[in-house]
Amino acid sequence: MSSDPNFTGPKTEGLVFDASEAQRRRNPSRMVRIGDHLKREWQLYVMLLPTIIWLLVFLYKPMYGLQIAFKDYSIFRGVAGSPWIGFEHFETLFNNDQFLRALKNTIIMSAYGLLFGFPVPILLALMFNEVLNQTFKKTAQTIVYLPHFISSVIIAGIVITAFSPSAGIVNTILGWFGVDSIYFLTKPEWFRPIFIGTGIWQEAGFQSIVYLAAIAGVSPTLYESAVVDGASRWQMIWKITVPSILPTIIIMLIIRIGNILEISFEMIILLYQPATYETADVVNTFIYRQGLQGGQYDFAAAAGLFNAVVAFVLVMTANTISKRYSRTSLW
Amino acid sequence: MSGVQLRGIVKAYGALQVVHGINLEVQEKEFVVLVGPSGCGKSTTLRMIAGLEEISDGDLTIDGRHVNRVAPKDRDVAMVFQNYALYPHLNVADNIAFGLRIRKESKQAIASSVEEVGKILGLTPYLDRRPADLSGGQRQRVAMGRAIVRRPKVFLFDEPLSNLDAKLRTQMRAEIKRLHKRLGATSIYVTHDQVEAMTLADRIVVMHEGRIEQVGTPMELFLNPINTFVAGFLGSPPMNMVTAKIVAGDTGPVAAFGDDRLQLAPIPSLQNAVGQEVILGIRPEFVTVADQSVEGRVAVDVDLIETLGSEALIHATLQGDPFVIRTETVGQMNVLDGVSGFSIAPHLIRVFDAETGQALPGQVLEQ
Repeated sequence: MSSDPNFTGPKTEGLVFDASEAQRRRNPSRMVRIGDHLKREWQLYVMLLPTIIWLLVFLYKPMYGLQIAFKDYSIFRGVAGSPWIGFEHFETLFNNDQFLRALKNTIIMSAYGLLFGFPVPILLALMFNEVLNQTFKKTAQTIVYLPHFISSVIIAGIVITAFSPSAGIVNTILGWFGVDSIYFLTKPEWFRPIFIGTGIWQEAGFQSIVYLAAIAGVSPTLYESAVVDGASRWQMIWKITVPSILPTIIIMLIIRIGNILEISFEMIILLYQPATYETADVVNTFIYRQGLQGGQYDFAAAAGLFNAVVAFVLVMTANTISKRYSRTSLW
Repeated sequence: MSGVQLRGIVKAYGALQVVHGINLEVQEKEFVVLVGPSGCGKSTTLRMIAGLEEISDGDLTIDGRHVNRVAPKDRDVAMVFQNYALYPHLNVADNIAFGLRIRKESKQAIASSVEEVGKILGLTPYLDRRPADLSGGQRQRVAMGRAIVRRPKVFLFDEPLSNLDAKLRTQMRAEIKRLHKRLGATSIYVTHDQVEAMTLADRIVVMHEGRIEQVGTPMELFLNPINTFVAGFLGSPPMNMVTAKIVAGDTGPVAAFGDDRLQLAPIPSLQNAVGQEVILGIRPEFVTVADQSVEGRVAVDVDLIETLGSEALIHATLQGDPFVIRTETVGQMNVLDGVSGFSIAPHLIRVFDAETGQALPGQVLEQ
């Protein structure tokens, strides 16, 4: 257009300006609304900023490296320089017996963790709520919160000591009843109960805080009204408290299902040994061994990506089901 | 007889006493309203009757049975709460049935009771809805349904209409009154709204700082308040208070304030009070507006006139204090324009002791 010497219409720059101007004018209320909102609430966005930066640096930037799952990666050629090989790593993965075993273990341990570990904090919160003596309540709460603040290494140390065949308290007690010492941590059949029990001991107390907060939000008049109606404490728990905190329970369940494959990896690393791989090895420990110890970064990345995709599908499904049937959802 | 008796009821939290020995007898089928400003102990008293608060001292009898130590559920009372106390996860029918289910009544009995209550309260179309899907008035009706379905001996209402808007409150007030007529159950109702108290009560109990100031029918309390507190609390707008001194006049005692004089009723207690400082209680409704031409009028400075349609409120000052006059408007509009004072019949002035605030004895205004 502009090459035509007789052209007298607007120049390209002018047209571009006009187009953006038109766009702005077409939707002025929305732009004004967002602008006003930012001007009014900028403090909130400033407070949000550190989290957004953290997310970008630690969770989004590493995603760039995910591409090595589809590449024949070499540290010398770098992420960008390595050649694409498509789904080859995934094929190897699903033909790898160790990976399939790790996947099975992950699902079994997560299911057990969910089955036994999920209700415990709720029960704890319900029990704390019934305690009338404030001193006892506070002391008990501190005791159950405490393991959460202890490093996993120390927790594992305590567990290993407790289950030690020579001096461990568990074997000592069993000895009183004439039971021979059991080498708990070398027996595959004992690994899962010990691991799940440890997880409950370490986290249940701290997780109960969420439910205690939800219980604190239940209107006291609901209980008073029930008292006048003649409800017992037991009936009040089941007919008022539990239904009232059900939305919180569902939200926590969705989050938990999303993390189902993110099993407490360091605790397994600390507790397992080749003798118990059969029941103890999970996808994350498999990735750790292949990737960091074996140097197969691309293969480990493929396993990790698979893990993430499954977790994503799970959390989406849980959220959709919950939204449809209980009107409660994360988003 | 399902009456309620309170004898010397005291509530104390540690060293802090909030209810100081209340004596009250509520007759069977009576509708008694406890009214008073915030913090006067009326709700605490109601909660002691319900069993939600422990009674620190005194005796509580329901239906002739001493119930101080009886659990709330065994007192056979039902309570309606200010914020409805509906279970958000249950629908209307289940909310109404809650108390019956707790008492393990048969399914059939529950279903028929819920249906009947639904009909009484006009809730039948909403039985399947959750509280969140109801309006404020409907929620309040469900709360009442939950109370009446149990057919208790005594109904307790704790400011049940406070969360409703003005129009709905008037509507629900009438419904409560109708319901009481229909069910005839003994009811104790707590409110801080004197209009609710006046319209609903068979008898009103005015409370102040943990004590009962006066008990009586609405009209008794309106016409013959025992002290300045009751006088100021009941009636809208409240009674005007004018400080004056009683002097002897030609035709009996006269109240003198500033340059003005008001003839008082020639009863002995007032005649004997000559020389005493008093407070004159003058109801805004009892005065007649007067212009310059009326002799013996008391002059006021008119600030503004609020015309409310059939009546008008004249806001004025007398002796520097606010003074309100309520008057009819129909046929009076031209009088209102020139209003500059008022006159009042001697027997309509209530005289209180300026020091104690108590009404001087012997003044009785018949209905």
